[in-house]
Amino acid sequence: MSITAKRIIIIAIIMVVAFVLGRLAVRAGMNLLLGGTLFGGDFL
Amino acid sequence: MSKTKKEKKVRVVSVGLGILIFVLAFGAGVVSKVAIKPAWAQKYAVTWSDELGTLKSDLPYGEGEANRFDLYLPKDGTKDSYGLVVYLHAGGFTSGDKADDRSTLAWLCGKGYVAAGINYTLRTEEHPEASVLSQSNEIKAAVPKVIEAAEAAGYHIDKMAMAGGSAGHALAMIYAYRDGKDAPVPVVFTYGAVGPSSFVAEDWGIFGLGQDTEESRQAGAGLFSVMSGKEITPEEIKDGSYREKVHEIAAAEWVENNPIPTVVAYGALDKVQPFLASLRLEEALKENGVDYKYFVLEHSGHGLQNDSAVSKLWMEAIDEYLAKYMPVK
Repeated sequence: MSITAKRIIIIAIIMVVAFVLGRLAVRAGMNLLLGGTLFGGDFL
Repeated sequence: MSKTKKEKKVRVVSVGLGILIFVLAFGAGVVSKVAIKPAWAQKYAVTWSDELGTLKSDLPYGEGEANRFDLYLPKDGTKDSYGLVVYLHAGGFTSGDKADDRSTLAWLCGKGYVAAGINYTLRTEEHPEASVLSQSNEIKAAVPKVIEAAEAAGYHIDKMAMAGGSAGHALAMIYAYRDGKDAPVPVVFTYGAVGPSSFVAEDWGIFGLGQDTEESRQAGAGLFSVMSGKEITPEEIKDGSYREKVHEIAAAEWVENNPIPTVVAYGALDKVQPFLASLRLEEALKENGVDYKYFVLEHSGHGLQNDSAVSKLWMEAIDEYLAKYMPVK
Protein backbone atom coordinates (compact mmCIF):
# COMPACT_ATOMS: atom_id res chain seq x y z
CA MET A 1 0.00 0.00 0.00
CA SER A 2 1.38 3.40 -0.94
CA ILE A 3 1.96 6.11 1.68
CA THR A 4 -0.78 8.25 0.03
CA ALA A 5 -3.36 5.46 0.33
CA LYS A 6 -2.42 5.01 4.00
CA ARG A 7 -2.86 8.73 4.63
CA ILE A 8 -6.28 8.74 2.96
CA ILE A 9 -7.41 5.82 5.14
CA ILE A 10 -6.14 7.54 8.30
CA ILE A 11 -7.91 10.78 7.36
CA ALA A 12 -11.15 8.90 6.66
CA ILE A 13 -10.95 7.17 10.06
CA ILE A 14 -10.27 10.51 11.80
CA MET A 15 -13.28 12.07 10.04
CA VAL A 16 -15.67 9.28 10.99
CA VAL A 17 -14.49 9.12 14.61
CA ALA A 18 -14.63 12.92 15.00
CA PHE A 19 -18.11 13.11 13.43
CA VAL A 20 -19.42 10.41 15.77
CA LEU A 21 -17.77 12.09 18.78
CA GLY A 22 -19.36 15.41 17.78
CA ARG A 23 -22.83 13.85 17.81
CA LEU A 24 -22.14 12.01 21.05
CA ALA A 25 -20.90 15.24 22.68
CA VAL A 26 -24.23 16.94 21.91
CA ARG A 27 -26.17 13.97 23.22
CA ALA A 28 -24.02 13.86 26.38
CA GLY A 29 -24.48 17.60 26.92
CA MET A 30 -28.24 17.40 26.50
CA ASN A 31 -28.42 14.37 28.78
CA LEU A 32 -26.51 16.31 31.42
CA LEU A 33 -28.95 19.22 31.23
CA LEU A 34 -32.24 17.44 30.63
CA GLY A 35 -31.68 13.85 31.69
CA GLY A 36 -31.09 10.87 29.45
CA THR A 37 -28.59 8.15 28.69
CA LEU A 38 -25.92 7.57 26.06
CA PHE A 39 -26.92 3.93 25.81
CA GLY A 40 -29.94 2.77 23.88
CA GLY A 41 -32.57 4.69 22.01
CA ASP A 42 -31.53 6.48 18.84
CA PHE A 43 -28.40 5.36 17.04
CA LEU A 44 -25.95 8.13 18.03
CA MET B 1 17.36 21.38 3.80
CA SER B 2 18.56 18.06 5.26
CA LYS B 3 16.52 14.89 4.83
CA THR B 4 15.78 14.73 8.58
CA LYS B 5 14.46 18.29 8.62
CA LYS B 6 12.27 17.54 5.60
CA GLU B 7 10.79 14.46 7.26
CA LYS B 8 10.11 16.44 10.44
CA LYS B 9 8.33 19.16 8.46
CA VAL B 10 6.19 16.58 6.64
CA ARG B 11 5.26 14.98 9.99
CA VAL B 12 4.28 18.35 11.53
CA VAL B 13 2.12 19.21 8.51
CA SER B 14 0.46 15.75 8.61
CA VAL B 15 -0.34 16.01 12.33
CA GLY B 16 -1.64 19.56 11.87
CA LEU B 17 -3.82 18.45 8.97
CA GLY B 18 -5.13 15.54 11.05
CA ILE B 19 -6.06 17.88 13.90
CA LEU B 20 -7.77 20.30 11.51
CA ILE B 21 -9.77 17.49 9.90
CA PHE B 22 -10.73 16.17 13.36
CA VAL B 23 -11.99 19.59 14.47
CA LEU B 24 -13.96 20.14 11.26
CA ALA B 25 -15.55 16.68 11.34
CA PHE B 26 -16.34 17.07 15.07
CA GLY B 27 -18.06 20.39 14.28
CA ALA B 28 -19.98 18.76 11.44
CA GLY B 29 -21.14 16.05 13.88
CA VAL B 30 -22.33 18.68 16.36
CA VAL B 31 -24.18 20.64 13.68
CA SER B 32 -25.76 17.50 12.22
CA LYS B 33 -27.06 16.51 15.65
CA VAL B 34 -28.44 19.95 16.49
CA ALA B 35 -29.76 21.12 13.15
CA ILE B 36 -30.94 18.04 11.29
CA LYS B 37 -34.26 16.70 12.51
CA PRO B 38 -35.58 13.26 11.60
CA ALA B 39 -37.41 13.19 8.27
CA TRP B 40 -40.70 12.19 9.95
CA ALA B 41 -40.60 15.27 12.25
CA GLN B 42 -40.52 17.74 9.37
CA LYS B 43 -44.19 16.99 8.66
CA TYR B 44 -45.17 18.47 12.02
CA ALA B 45 -43.15 21.67 11.78
CA VAL B 46 -44.34 23.90 8.98
CA THR B 47 -42.93 27.27 7.98
CA TRP B 48 -45.67 29.86 8.25
CA SER B 49 -46.71 31.63 5.06
CA ASP B 50 -49.76 33.51 3.85
CA GLU B 51 -50.55 30.45 1.73
CA LEU B 52 -51.68 28.72 4.94
CA GLY B 53 -54.06 31.44 6.09
CA THR B 54 -54.13 34.62 8.13
CA LEU B 55 -52.10 35.34 11.24
CA LYS B 56 -53.45 37.88 13.70
CA SER B 57 -50.68 38.69 16.16
CA ASP B 58 -50.66 40.05 19.71
CA LEU B 59 -54.41 40.27 20.26
CA PRO B 60 -55.09 41.33 23.86
CA TYR B 61 -57.09 39.30 26.35
CA GLY B 62 -56.34 41.17 29.57
CA GLU B 63 -54.63 44.12 31.16
CA GLY B 64 -51.23 42.48 31.68
CA GLU B 65 -48.36 43.15 29.32
CA ALA B 66 -48.11 39.43 28.54
CA ASN B 67 -51.85 38.98 28.05
CA ARG B 68 -51.62 38.58 24.29
CA PHE B 69 -52.37 35.78 21.88
CA ASP B 70 -51.69 34.95 18.23
CA LEU B 71 -54.55 33.60 16.16
CA TYR B 72 -53.93 31.46 13.08
CA LEU B 73 -56.94 31.33 10.77
CA PRO B 74 -56.94 28.73 7.98
CA LYS B 75 -57.06 29.80 4.35
CA ASP B 76 -60.46 28.22 3.75
CA GLY B 77 -62.87 30.40 5.73
CA THR B 78 -66.05 29.02 4.13
CA LYS B 79 -66.84 26.18 6.53
CA ASP B 80 -69.76 26.21 8.96
CA SER B 81 -67.55 25.53 11.96
CA TYR B 82 -63.96 24.93 12.98
CA GLY B 83 -62.05 23.16 15.69
CA LEU B 84 -59.71 25.32 17.76
CA VAL B 85 -56.34 24.07 18.98
CA VAL B 86 -54.64 26.13 21.68
CA TYR B 87 -50.93 25.41 22.01
CA LEU B 88 -49.13 26.84 25.07
CA HIS B 89 -45.41 27.49 25.00
CA ALA B 90 -42.73 25.87 27.15
CA GLY B 91 -40.17 27.64 29.32
CA GLY B 92 -40.40 26.45 32.90
CA PHE B 93 -43.10 29.04 33.74
CA THR B 94 -40.32 31.67 33.68
CA SER B 95 -39.46 32.13 29.99
CA GLY B 96 -40.65 31.41 26.45
CA ASP B 97 -43.05 33.01 24.02
CA LYS B 98 -45.96 32.02 21.79
CA ALA B 99 -43.76 32.74 18.77
CA ASP B 100 -41.56 29.77 19.78
CA ASP B 101 -44.30 27.42 18.56
CA ARG B 102 -44.97 29.10 15.23
CA SER B 103 -44.08 26.00 13.21
CA THR B 104 -46.41 23.80 15.30
CA LEU B 105 -49.24 26.32 15.08
CA ALA B 106 -48.65 26.63 11.33
CA TRP B 107 -48.91 22.84 11.02
CA LEU B 108 -52.25 22.87 12.87
CA CYS B 109 -53.55 25.77 10.80
CA GLY B 110 -52.44 24.02 7.63
CA LYS B 111 -54.53 21.02 8.67
CA GLY B 112 -57.60 23.26 8.76
CA TYR B 113 -57.83 24.16 12.45
CA VAL B 114 -58.03 27.60 13.96
CA ALA B 115 -54.88 27.63 16.09
CA ALA B 116 -53.84 29.92 18.91
CA GLY B 117 -50.68 30.52 20.90
CA ILE B 118 -51.29 32.33 24.18
CA ASN B 119 -48.71 34.19 26.27
CA TYR B 120 -49.05 34.32 30.03
CA THR B 121 -47.32 36.36 32.73
CA LEU B 122 -44.02 34.65 33.43
CA ARG B 123 -42.47 34.42 36.86
CA THR B 124 -39.59 36.89 36.57
CA GLU B 125 -37.99 39.62 38.69
CA GLU B 126 -40.66 42.02 37.42
CA HIS B 127 -43.41 39.54 38.25
CA PRO B 128 -42.41 37.63 41.39
CA GLU B 129 -46.11 37.20 42.14
CA ALA B 130 -46.67 35.02 39.05
CA SER B 131 -47.25 31.34 39.74
CA VAL B 132 -48.59 28.28 37.95
CA LEU B 133 -51.94 29.12 39.54
CA SER B 134 -52.01 32.72 38.26
CA GLN B 135 -50.85 31.53 34.84
CA SER B 136 -53.57 28.88 34.69
CA ASN B 137 -56.14 31.52 35.57
CA GLU B 138 -54.83 33.77 32.81
CA ILE B 139 -55.27 30.93 30.31
CA LYS B 140 -58.80 30.42 31.62
CA ALA B 141 -59.52 34.11 30.99
CA ALA B 142 -57.89 34.01 27.57
CA VAL B 143 -59.79 31.11 25.97
CA PRO B 144 -63.17 32.92 25.66
CA LYS B 145 -61.35 35.91 24.10
CA VAL B 146 -59.62 33.63 21.61
CA ILE B 147 -62.96 32.16 20.59
CA GLU B 148 -64.53 35.64 20.38
CA ALA B 149 -61.71 36.80 18.10
CA ALA B 150 -62.13 33.76 15.84
CA GLU B 151 -65.89 34.30 15.67
CA ALA B 152 -65.38 38.00 14.89
CA ALA B 153 -63.15 36.97 11.98
CA GLY B 154 -65.93 34.71 10.67
CA TYR B 155 -64.66 31.39 11.98
CA HIS B 156 -67.29 29.70 14.12
CA ILE B 157 -65.68 27.47 16.76
CA ASP B 158 -67.65 24.40 17.84
CA LYS B 159 -65.02 22.44 19.81
CA MET B 160 -61.46 22.76 20.98
CA ALA B 161 -58.29 20.96 22.03
CA MET B 162 -55.69 22.11 24.57
CA ALA B 163 -52.03 21.36 24.03
CA GLY B 164 -48.57 22.48 24.98
CA GLY B 165 -45.01 21.58 25.81
CA SER B 166 -43.51 21.28 29.30
CA ALA B 167 -44.82 24.24 31.34
CA GLY B 168 -47.32 24.89 28.55
CA HIS B 169 -48.39 21.26 28.72
CA ALA B 170 -49.00 21.61 32.46
CA LEU B 171 -51.18 24.67 31.86
CA ALA B 172 -53.00 22.97 28.98
CA MET B 173 -53.85 19.98 31.17
CA ILE B 174 -55.02 22.23 34.03
CA TYR B 175 -57.37 24.00 31.66
CA ALA B 176 -58.56 20.78 30.02
CA TYR B 177 -59.31 18.85 33.23
CA ARG B 178 -59.99 21.62 35.79
CA ASP B 179 -61.62 24.35 33.68
CA GLY B 180 -62.74 22.44 30.60
CA LYS B 181 -66.32 22.08 31.75
CA ASP B 182 -66.63 25.89 31.97
CA ALA B 183 -65.16 26.46 28.52
CA PRO B 184 -67.32 28.29 25.95
CA VAL B 185 -67.10 25.23 23.66
CA PRO B 186 -66.49 21.57 24.54
CA VAL B 187 -62.83 20.70 25.18
CA VAL B 188 -62.60 17.34 23.44
CA PHE B 189 -58.91 16.48 23.52
CA THR B 190 -55.65 17.40 25.21
CA TYR B 191 -52.11 16.53 24.24
CA GLY B 192 -48.56 17.46 25.01
CA ALA B 193 -45.31 16.36 26.55
CA VAL B 194 -43.33 16.53 29.78
CA GLY B 195 -45.77 18.76 31.64
CA PRO B 196 -45.82 18.41 35.43
CA SER B 197 -49.27 17.26 36.45
CA SER B 198 -48.78 16.30 40.08
CA PHE B 199 -47.05 17.86 43.09
CA VAL B 200 -46.41 15.16 45.64
CA ALA B 201 -43.11 15.78 47.45
CA GLU B 202 -42.06 12.11 47.30
CA ASP B 203 -42.12 12.23 43.49
CA TRP B 204 -39.87 15.28 43.30
CA GLY B 205 -36.71 13.59 44.52
CA ILE B 206 -34.76 15.05 41.57
CA PHE B 207 -34.91 18.35 43.48
CA GLY B 208 -34.09 16.80 46.85
CA LEU B 209 -37.71 16.69 48.01
CA GLY B 210 -39.44 13.84 49.77
CA GLN B 211 -36.68 13.06 52.25
CA ASP B 212 -37.23 13.00 55.99
CA THR B 213 -35.00 15.99 56.69
CA GLU B 214 -35.68 19.63 57.54
CA GLU B 215 -33.65 20.74 54.53
CA SER B 216 -35.77 18.64 52.17
CA ARG B 217 -39.00 19.93 53.70
CA GLN B 218 -37.79 23.51 53.36
CA ALA B 219 -36.90 22.91 49.73
CA GLY B 220 -40.35 21.40 49.14
CA ALA B 221 -42.08 24.31 50.87
CA GLY B 222 -40.11 26.79 48.77
CA LEU B 223 -40.69 25.09 45.43
CA PHE B 224 -44.37 24.34 45.94
CA SER B 225 -45.06 27.83 47.36
CA VAL B 226 -43.63 29.37 44.22
CA MET B 227 -45.60 27.06 41.95
CA SER B 228 -48.91 27.21 43.78
CA GLY B 229 -48.74 30.92 44.59
CA LYS B 230 -49.65 30.05 48.19
CA GLU B 231 -47.53 30.09 51.33
CA ILE B 232 -46.57 26.52 52.18
CA THR B 233 -44.53 25.77 55.31
CA PRO B 234 -42.10 22.89 56.00
CA GLU B 235 -44.58 21.72 58.65
CA GLU B 236 -47.29 21.42 56.01
CA ILE B 237 -44.89 19.40 53.88
CA LYS B 238 -44.30 17.13 56.87
CA ASP B 239 -47.95 16.56 57.75
CA GLY B 240 -49.11 16.39 54.13
CA SER B 241 -51.57 19.28 54.36
CA TYR B 242 -49.70 21.06 51.54
CA ARG B 243 -51.55 18.77 49.11
CA GLU B 244 -54.68 20.91 49.47
CA LYS B 245 -52.69 24.00 48.48
CA VAL B 246 -51.22 22.47 45.34
CA HIS B 247 -54.48 20.79 44.36
CA GLU B 248 -55.57 23.61 42.05
CA ILE B 249 -52.45 23.22 39.87
CA ALA B 250 -52.24 19.42 39.98
CA ALA B 251 -53.88 18.48 36.68
CA ALA B 252 -53.78 14.74 37.45
CA GLU B 253 -56.11 15.36 40.40
CA TRP B 254 -58.68 16.97 38.10
CA VAL B 255 -58.94 14.28 35.45
CA GLU B 256 -62.17 12.93 36.95
CA ASN B 257 -63.70 16.40 36.58
CA ASN B 258 -63.41 16.29 32.79
CA PRO B 259 -62.01 12.94 31.64
CA ILE B 260 -61.30 13.80 28.01
CA PRO B 261 -59.13 11.93 25.50
CA THR B 262 -55.45 12.50 26.16
CA VAL B 263 -52.13 11.85 24.44
CA VAL B 264 -48.96 12.51 26.44
CA ALA B 265 -45.25 11.70 26.32
CA TYR B 266 -42.71 11.69 29.15
CA GLY B 267 -38.99 10.98 29.42
CA ALA B 268 -38.19 8.28 31.96
CA LEU B 269 -34.91 10.01 32.87
CA ASP B 270 -36.29 13.56 33.07
CA LYS B 271 -34.22 15.85 35.32
CA VAL B 272 -36.60 18.80 35.07
CA GLN B 273 -40.04 17.29 35.57
CA PRO B 274 -40.08 14.13 37.67
CA PHE B 275 -41.13 11.07 35.73
CA LEU B 276 -42.72 9.66 38.90
CA ALA B 277 -45.25 12.50 38.86
CA SER B 278 -46.37 11.48 35.39
CA LEU B 279 -47.17 7.97 36.65
CA ARG B 280 -49.88 9.55 38.82
CA LEU B 281 -51.32 11.12 35.69
CA GLU B 282 -51.43 7.78 33.94
CA GLU B 283 -53.08 6.22 36.98
CA ALA B 284 -55.77 8.93 36.95
CA LEU B 285 -56.35 8.49 33.22
CA LYS B 286 -56.72 4.74 33.68
CA GLU B 287 -58.99 5.02 36.75
CA ASN B 288 -61.32 7.43 34.98
CA GLY B 289 -61.68 5.36 31.83
CA VAL B 290 -60.11 7.99 29.63
CA ASP B 291 -59.28 7.14 26.02
CA TYR B 292 -55.58 7.92 26.36
CA LYS B 293 -52.12 7.15 25.06
CA TYR B 294 -49.18 7.54 27.38
CA PHE B 295 -45.76 7.26 25.77
CA VAL B 296 -42.63 6.67 27.83
CA LEU B 297 -39.30 7.54 26.24
CA GLU B 298 -37.06 5.20 28.21
CA HIS B 299 -33.71 6.72 27.24
CA SER B 300 -34.71 10.38 27.23
CA GLY B 301 -35.04 13.29 29.59
CA HIS B 302 -37.03 16.52 29.42
CA GLY B 303 -36.16 17.09 25.75
CA LEU B 304 -37.47 13.66 24.64
CA GLN B 305 -34.20 13.71 22.75
CA ASN B 306 -33.02 10.09 22.53
CA ASP B 307 -36.04 8.10 21.39
CA SER B 308 -36.98 9.28 17.95
CA ALA B 309 -38.98 6.13 17.16
CA VAL B 310 -41.28 6.66 20.18
CA SER B 311 -41.57 10.39 19.47
CA LYS B 312 -42.79 9.46 15.99
CA LEU B 313 -45.48 7.19 17.47
CA TRP B 314 -46.48 9.97 19.87
CA MET B 315 -46.96 12.50 17.05
CA GLU B 316 -48.84 9.94 14.97
CA ALA B 317 -51.16 9.35 17.95
CA ILE B 318 -51.79 13.11 18.21
CA ASP B 319 -52.68 13.18 14.52
CA GLU B 320 -54.95 10.16 14.98
CA TYR B 321 -56.76 11.64 18.02
CA LEU B 322 -57.20 15.02 16.33
CA ALA B 323 -58.81 13.26 13.36
CA LYS B 324 -60.97 11.13 15.66
CA TYR B 325 -62.20 13.73 18.15
CA MET B 326 -61.95 16.95 16.18
CA PRO B 327 -62.12 16.01 12.50
CA VAL B 328 -61.67 18.79 9.97
CA LYS B 329 -64.97 19.01 8.16
